[in-house]
Amino acid sequence: MRISYEWLGDFLDLDGVTPKAAAEVLTRLGIEVESLLIVDLSAIVIGKVLEQKPHPKSRNPLWIHQVDLGDHVQQIIAGAPNAVPGSLVPVALPGTTVPNGKIVKDMNIAGFKASGMLCSASELTLGEDHSGILILDRGTPGEPLTTVIPNQAIMEAEITSNRPDEMGHLGVARELAAGLDRPLKRDFMPAFTGTADPPGRDLVKVSIDDPDLCSRYIGGVIKSVRVGPSPDWMQRRLRACDVRPINNIVDITNYVLLEYAQPLHAFDLAKLNGPAIHVRRAREGEKLLCLDGEVRQLTPDMLVIADALRPVAIAGVIGGEETAVTGATVDILLESATFNGPSVRQTSRALGLRTEASARFERALPPELALAGARRAASLIAELAGGSVHREWADVYPRPQEPVRVNLRPALIDEVLGTHVPLEEAESILKRLNFHVKVMGDGEWDVLPPVFRLDVSIPEDLVEEVGRVYGYDRVPPTLPGRRRDRWTPAAPSMDRRLDAVREVLAGAGFTETWNPALVSGRKLEDLRIAAHAMRIENPLSDDMNTLRTSLLPSLLDAIALNRDRGEIVVSIYEIASVFLAKVGDRPTQPDEPLRLGVAFTVLQGSDTGRFGFYHAKTVLDACVASLAAPPPTYDRASTDLFHPGRCAAVVMDGKQLGYLGEVHPTVTAGARLDGRVVAFEIDVEAVLAASRVSRAQPLPRFPGVERDLAVVVEDTVAAGAILATVKESAGDLLEQARAFDEYRGAQVPEGHKSVAFTLTFRSPERTLTDAEVDRVMAEIKLGLEKRHSARFRE
Amino acid sequence: MSDPSALTSEALAAIGKAQTEHDLERIEVEYLGRKSGRVSKLLEGIGKLGAEEKAALGKAVNDAKRAVEGALAGRRAELEASRLADLAETEAIDITFPGPALGRGHIHVLTQVRRQIETVLESLGYQVELGPEVETEWYNFEALNITAGHPARENWDSFYFSPELLLRAHTSPVQIRAMQRIKEPPIYVITPGRSYRRDAPEATRLPYFSQVEGLAVDKGLTVGDMKGTLLYMIQSLYGRDRKVRVRPSYFPFTEPSFEFDVTCGICGGMGCKSCRHKGWLEVGGCGMVHPQVLRNGGVDPTQWSGYAWGFGIERMAMLKHDVDDIRLFYESDLRFLEQF
Repeated sequence: MRISYEWLGDFLDLDGVTPKAAAEVLTRLGIEVESLLIVDLSAIVIGKVLEQKPHPKSRNPLWIHQVDLGDHVQQIIAGAPNAVPGSLVPVALPGTTVPNGKIVKDMNIAGFKASGMLCSASELTLGEDHSGILILDRGTPGEPLTTVIPNQAIMEAEITSNRPDEMGHLGVARELAAGLDRPLKRDFMPAFTGTADPPGRDLVKVSIDDPDLCSRYIGGVIKSVRVGPSPDWMQRRLRACDVRPINNIVDITNYVLLEYAQPLHAFDLAKLNGPAIHVRRAREGEKLLCLDGEVRQLTPDMLVIADALRPVAIAGVIGGEETAVTGATVDILLESATFNGPSVRQTSRALGLRTEASARFERALPPELALAGARRAASLIAELAGGSVHREWADVYPRPQEPVRVNLRPALIDEVLGTHVPLEEAESILKRLNFHVKVMGDGEWDVLPPVFRLDVSIPEDLVEEVGRVYGYDRVPPTLPGRRRDRWTPAAPSMDRRLDAVREVLAGAGFTETWNPALVSGRKLEDLRIAAHAMRIENPLSDDMNTLRTSLLPSLLDAIALNRDRGEIVVSIYEIASVFLAKVGDRPTQPDEPLRLGVAFTVLQGSDTGRFGFYHAKTVLDACVASLAAPPPTYDRASTDLFHPGRCAAVVMDGKQLGYLGEVHPTVTAGARLDGRVVAFEIDVEAVLAASRVSRAQPLPRFPGVERDLAVVVEDTVAAGAILATVKESAGDLLEQARAFDEYRGAQVPEGHKSVAFTLTFRSPERTLTDAEVDRVMAEIKLGLEKRHSARFRE
Repeated sequence: MSDPSALTSEALAAIGKAQTEHDLERIEVEYLGRKSGRVSKLLEGIGKLGAEEKAALGKAVNDAKRAVEGALAGRRAELEASRLADLAETEAIDITFPGPALGRGHIHVLTQVRRQIETVLESLGYQVELGPEVETEWYNFEALNITAGHPARENWDSFYFSPELLLRAHTSPVQIRAMQRIKEPPIYVITPGRSYRRDAPEATRLPYFSQVEGLAVDKGLTVGDMKGTLLYMIQSLYGRDRKVRVRPSYFPFTEPSFEFDVTCGICGGMGCKSCRHKGWLEVGGCGMVHPQVLRNGGVDPTQWSGYAWGFGIERMAMLKHDVDDIRLFYESDLRFLEQF
């Protein structure tokens, strides 16, 4: 909200309080001033236009003015035609910097001297209006502009949603007065009432269908108003708050909205059928031509103000054009009502229209405010538009505001804040904020919040009031601590345990990524992994409408992005949850398994890329080993995302953890990648669950013996099968067996391959002799011959 | 048969001239070889000599052997000393030539910052508590006092799967779950994790982000304790010269509620372009847990009180590492990720 410093000065004495100091006090109180715009008008003077003639030579229409500046007359050229002779205008002389940053210079425009500038409101940063020169309603030529318009300071502030009372200058001023400990010059409830006969309630009939949606409706009749422009000071304040002046009646309703935070509306009484006001839900098919010129289709969940025949306003949002106050209006009906917050918000959302009024109603206004706002507006109309205000307005108030009382044990203040606030000070703070405090016999306080503070209902709310005015910077920081007889032993978090995996992957050259969990559902369908996907009902866009069921598509996209930016070799991973919907009739919370996904590009030409696959196994084995879980096994498998000949299911303790393999060529192509990508994705919680504390093994006391063995078998025999036979045939002395090479070519028969192993033999009791190892080797060869028809290469 | 002393002189002369280890090895074999070395050969035919002559010859040969061995060792030492003395020239390399790339991977900057935050708070006795990202309406809103139609709801515009089920808009539901699980205070937990809000992506906000929230429930906790905890955390992460300020604000789940700010690291609180001349940078929200929220977590507010706070991990990382666009964290551009 925009707050005018000058306006605040109506309500409290700001002597010695600069705009900057006021902004700081407000921020400390909870009204966060985000920016402060100072408009310094000291260099601008007042001029009186004596003569205005069109520029004879200029291609664009320009006007040459002779301007009286008190002690001399100056020639000034302007593009706007509204500074007619007799107008008082703001003048910036050559050498002056105008508030909007423009520097004024002596100029010559097509043969005519131009010495200075006539300023618009926007050039003086007094508002958005740049359509013409700002015309002043008073002032003496030659005097500084500040004699009629004080220097401006506009604060842009954020008002929290619990404080609609602060959405008006009076509410902000009340806070500032409390913070500065200065008296507030204005009472909440104006004393003004109308006096004209007959009673207003006899002139218009008001009815409310649903008191839940409208708890109060005041309709005040004011007759014989003179519609015209509102005074300069009012227009200036409206502009400062980004509200466009229209005419005195409309301006007054907007002015009171910005002052009291009570939205108001003025109808042309002559245009209301009845005249009657019926607050009801819109009927199917009803429409309204609104004040902004748009016709809006209404639905029965919207609350409208109707006359005897038709809707004339959308409650709390916007008025209708046909019943609006115009220059021809004589009698008006002034509406000041209280509409239900959620209902106004719903309507405003459905219409895609947020107004100053709806922004206030949405936050739930107190019905007592409606009367205060109506009285204030009526008194201004009487004063500035000469209306005669009728007595005893229609005031339908089916749900009177219940007073709230809060019992406060004053010690709670110190207990919550953690510092000592003297009781007199706490009481004084509450009183400054218009709370009534009664100290009862038992020392407790019976506190009555002011009617405009619907947000206060529990003792803690009162502690907050005291705390923020007392000043939280006066509360010393402490750390909690006392003798405890209960505690929870420390345990490493899941993420810290997974740091072991991150270390392995960093060492192996893999960089961690964090990718969005929201992906395109269409894409998951194309990849055939959408069976358990959760779709969002109200997505921001189609490419973020579904929760991912796998990390791999994100990793492929990341590889593609880096490839597009020139990175050919990419090794990345992510640790994150995926989301798998449970099968059932109605949606429930999905499974959210935590996954480790790893993907990397395989360089072209490196032996049809099969070593990429083996590298992935090495990496996964190392990750698992870092968590001290048992080594996984790899079973040939087939699944949509992976290459049919290069895919393994990763299994641990009989449980499948996920898949490892080369990504299917159609999947890589779908991610706009050429070349091979190898990847794996596993459930890490299962690995963490299988993690054991590593136990130290005694170091071997006797030397081991290494032998190499090249086994020639048919192509179809898997290295894993050979290895199993080796282990089975070898007996206890074989410590380790590892395949290290696979060869096809001239030295082995067609349809065969040679697989080379390194075997390590060791006894815990003695040094093995060559003869002993030879015997075991012979057993191994025998086993391999029998089971795989193996031959051996030297 | 030659004379041992003449042979010794000859050997010593050869050793003195030797320039390399190779020369010395050749000389060693020539004179001291076990079978065919010239010194050993002096003993050929010793069997024919008388006892006295035998002893004299034996001694002479031994002396010769020792003399040659001593000379060899001496010359070796000389050669080694001279080699070492010349290293600066003989083995000089271009030390400005760069080392080969290490090829190591990088841990994501958000993981690093999250780890730092967790480590600092664990040192105060807080433990990590996790919860589901797809939450129920009750845990995400109702339990936190954000009832249907609450005007504050627009601050947590959310993604829905059904009227009852949504992506959590903050990690606060984990606070409720933690209270329900632990049941009996003291409770000191932090709840890091991903959260989601329906905000269009831009440089300062994303529809997905990561939060860390903290919750303390114990006897007699105060606003001062909350301030101290935040100050300890911020100074541990950013340095002891940082200050923290709490500003009154409003959240339905805390009373009183605050935003907390940290002094700008660039101007030290004086005001500069980077903090928009405020001197303070907004970090997160905090407050004393609302009695109703304690009740919703199964904790008796007449016995216990609590404070809670929350902030975005991305925000902390942006402040710490001068990152100016939040989208960089989730874009997976290695040129960004490899800077950390």
